[in-house]
Amino acid sequence: MFAGRPNDTGAGTSFIDPRVLAKIDNLELLARTVVEGFINGLHRSPNLGASMDFAEHRAYMPGDDLRRIDWRLFGRSDRYFVKEFEADTNTDLLLLLDVSASMDFGSNGITKLQYAKYLVSCLGYFSSRQRDRLGLVTFVDGIVNYVPPSARHLRIVLQTIARATASGQGSIDTALRQIAEFARRRQVIVIVSDLYDEPERVVRAVARLRNRGNDLIVLQVLDPAELDLPFDEASNFEDMETGESIPVVPGLLREQYRTLVQEHTATLARMMREERIDYALFNTAQPLDHALFAYLADRQRLSRIR
Amino acid sequence: MSLTFLAPLFLIGLVAVAVPVIVHLVNRERRNAVAFPSLMFLRRVPFKSVRRQRLRHRALFALRCLALALLALAFARPFLDRESGNATAGGGGPREIVVLLDRSYSMAYGDRWSRASAAAERAIAGIGGADRVTLVLFDHEATTAAGPTGDLAVVRAAITNARPGAGSTRYAPALAVAQQLTDRSERPRREVVLISDFQRAGWDGQELPKLALPATLTTVDVGDPATANTLVTGVDVSRDASDGVDRAIVAARLARQGDRAGVAARATLEINGREVEAKQVALPASGAMSVTFAPVPVPDGTTRGTVRVTGPPGDDRLSVDDAFHFVLAPAQVVSVLLIENPGAPANRTMFLPRALGIGDSPAFRVMQRQSDDVTTADVDAARVVILHGTGMPAGAPGDRIRTLVRGGGGLIVALGENTGSRAASGMTELLPGAVGEIIDRSPERGGTMGSLDRNHPALESFRGARTGDFTSARYLRYRALSPAGTDAVLGRFDDGSVALAERRVGDGRVLAFTSTFDGYWNDLPVQPVFLPLVQSLVRHAAAWTPQRASETVGSAMSVSDPAIRGELVAVTPSGERTRWSEEDSVRSLVLRETGFYELRDVGAVAASRIIAVNPDASESELGAFPPDELARAVSPPGSTAATATGTMTLTVAEREKRQTLWWYVLVLALLLLAAESLLSNRLSRAVRRDVALPDGKMNHA
Repeated sequence: MFAGRPNDTGAGTSFIDPRVLAKIDNLELLARTVVEGFINGLHRSPNLGASMDFAEHRAYMPGDDLRRIDWRLFGRSDRYFVKEFEADTNTDLLLLLDVSASMDFGSNGITKLQYAKYLVSCLGYFSSRQRDRLGLVTFVDGIVNYVPPSARHLRIVLQTIARATASGQGSIDTALRQIAEFARRRQVIVIVSDLYDEPERVVRAVARLRNRGNDLIVLQVLDPAELDLPFDEASNFEDMETGESIPVVPGLLREQYRTLVQEHTATLARMMREERIDYALFNTAQPLDHALFAYLADRQRLSRIR
Repeated sequence: MSLTFLAPLFLIGLVAVAVPVIVHLVNRERRNAVAFPSLMFLRRVPFKSVRRQRLRHRALFALRCLALALLALAFARPFLDRESGNATAGGGGPREIVVLLDRSYSMAYGDRWSRASAAAERAIAGIGGADRVTLVLFDHEATTAAGPTGDLAVVRAAITNARPGAGSTRYAPALAVAQQLTDRSERPRREVVLISDFQRAGWDGQELPKLALPATLTTVDVGDPATANTLVTGVDVSRDASDGVDRAIVAARLARQGDRAGVAARATLEINGREVEAKQVALPASGAMSVTFAPVPVPDGTTRGTVRVTGPPGDDRLSVDDAFHFVLAPAQVVSVLLIENPGAPANRTMFLPRALGIGDSPAFRVMQRQSDDVTTADVDAARVVILHGTGMPAGAPGDRIRTLVRGGGGLIVALGENTGSRAASGMTELLPGAVGEIIDRSPERGGTMGSLDRNHPALESFRGARTGDFTSARYLRYRALSPAGTDAVLGRFDDGSVALAERRVGDGRVLAFTSTFDGYWNDLPVQPVFLPLVQSLVRHAAAWTPQRASETVGSAMSVSDPAIRGELVAVTPSGERTRWSEEDSVRSLVLRETGFYELRDVGAVAASRIIAVNPDASESELGAFPPDELARAVSPPGSTAATATGTMTLTVAEREKRQTLWWYVLVLALLLLAAESLLSNRLSRAVRRDVALPDGKMNHA
């Protein structure tokens, strides 16, 4: 399972620092910036081209399938063009974004919520390009905002994502239970959350959706500080959701903390895998496009994309 | 020996010790809150405790406090005050302490006097029962104000009552008193404390009385590092009577001394206490200027004048020298009765009146009479009578002349052709010697003046070089004169004959010139020396003294006034009276105050004489010399420099400078801080190994 690191980058490819992305206010522009950078030539949608409805020609780019080159056009123009076809799709993509208070944490210039917003924006933009129907749910311990899936809802989804703010004490179990009530249609559901809950409870909640025939993708977003506990000074640590605080000497707890976090994510990954739920951990220190690139490549390799 | 501080205000820095205490207390209560997404994992981590942390931190805390306290101590510049220590300890036997307190008027500058008084108090503080103190106040003279006494209250009262005067600083009299007191003392320890502003003007490097061992000198400098003083250094009064009205033109010299920039000041002229003119002047920094006031008519009688300079408020901290007093007296006139031989031609009698007609200091009023028509009224109106080639008038006028001379008047006799031994017989008791025959020097084309007693008061004006060429005149004839042993011979001709002689008769003076003033027996009247000679002789005969516009504090003057024969009283500017009875032969007055002294007859209301007194301008120059120079000059010749200076604690700052204790304290503070860093690091490492209490609470001190 992918759990990339910031320096785990592909050779010859430059990735966009999340802090640079944070300077882009427009989520659509952001999503395009991220997605356009790698989508051409890499991603071969089973939908795009599967249809016989010709859509357009576009210039050949290295990496395009040679079989898709329009040789007749090459004969006339002496240039390579690839034929694009209108994809038929009846798949819904429902993005579930956790906006609990804990998502508002960020130690390296970008909060988890911002990162998650970019992530779901990119995925939304990406699926929109694939002519999927796109919907969005923001949740804390229940549904906060709901945008029903539609092929024309990209703009509304992005606007809703942009407006989302983190607050409240989250409970993924309660939230997914509510979503399960109206998400009856088979769809691809992407859950983006920090998953601060017991792995069993998380998997049980997710599995509930999975059992309804949905294709589940769980993306856990964590800040590097949550993974490494890099603090030096002894301080009171205050829970962002409950407000509870305890005195902590980080230097003394660091190793044990890391072990616990690693065990937690490993357990999540293992249990998700057992439930055939796609799971990935995103570190907010990683370039977003790299994380997406790596994740999607991995997913493609495992042939799990629908 | 006690610990004293040069800059005790820095001890406020000890409050900084409270900082670690506050930090300690605050840190115990307040911890930095770190917002963290979830405590899910942190809560699962088991805690351990540090039981010895508090104890270790207290040691660290004490170290920090001590380091801060030492830093504050170092900045306060501590030093060991051995002087006061000795005073309080009283070891080494009883002491003879002589406190020399400068009360010259420069000590009135700013707060010098209060500092000097405090220093004097300190010097006598802690004297023991067997110790003896003498307080000597000095300016240009030294006065014992208290002691020698062991009664501290007496000395303290004397210090409290002392005030800076108007005198100028002179160290020699004060040190002479100190020398006497310490030499006479049998006490084993003899200490002289000199409290002064050490003005450069007070000591020009001349020999000073030396203290003998075991006496030691402690100097206390109460001078200021930067000074500013505006003053009137002098006044010149010139007279103008060109339009018949006697007017005085007052020109004042103003000066600014010290280190500060020039200022705009106001100069005023007061006549008899009333301001008659004010001028705005720009005084340059460390410079002088002159300001001339418009001519003022001089009233009858003696007039008091004062020129004042007023600088910006707060600029001038020495006020004594801001005013200069002077006296405007009516023009002095000496009446001269010139008695000629009857029938003397005009061309023989014209020289004397013309020679006396020139000059205004004093002016001479000449009444020319022939010996047969002179009256007693003429004699009464005269101060000096000149018998020019004639004998004493017969009858009452002659008697009046004798009375005049005995009463202090003057008589000048020019022996001529008609003043033979017979004519002279009428005034034998007056003439300085017996008149003889005519000596004729015409065959040898005249004689010359051989010698002159230029030190004689009558010829005082010729005392300087090239002040009168008496050898150019040729004397064809003169009379022989044989002075008595009590008579003074002022000049002789080249053949040894007497040319000029004097006899004191009663209070008066008689001068005899053995030739004439008419140009017949000599060509003296056409020589340049004639006019000053005649005027000088008349002034001497009249016992005339120039009336000075002002006197300087410290000068002693004779107050004998011919007009006051009975009891005389002098009133000082502060109102004190000094009386002289009729029997007092010496009537002199030492001027110690600035302002106007009045001399008057005991019964009279109006003053017969007014004396303006000003401070010595040299005292206004506030520049100082290093006290240790004086200390070296006073130290015994045989003593080594170490002995001389080792016992002399010059100033508080210098004592501190020599000890430099602050440096050691600072090094100690830095060492403590280094130790604190080491200990703190070690404690931090220990804490990481061994942390937190069993209940999950942690100590973050």
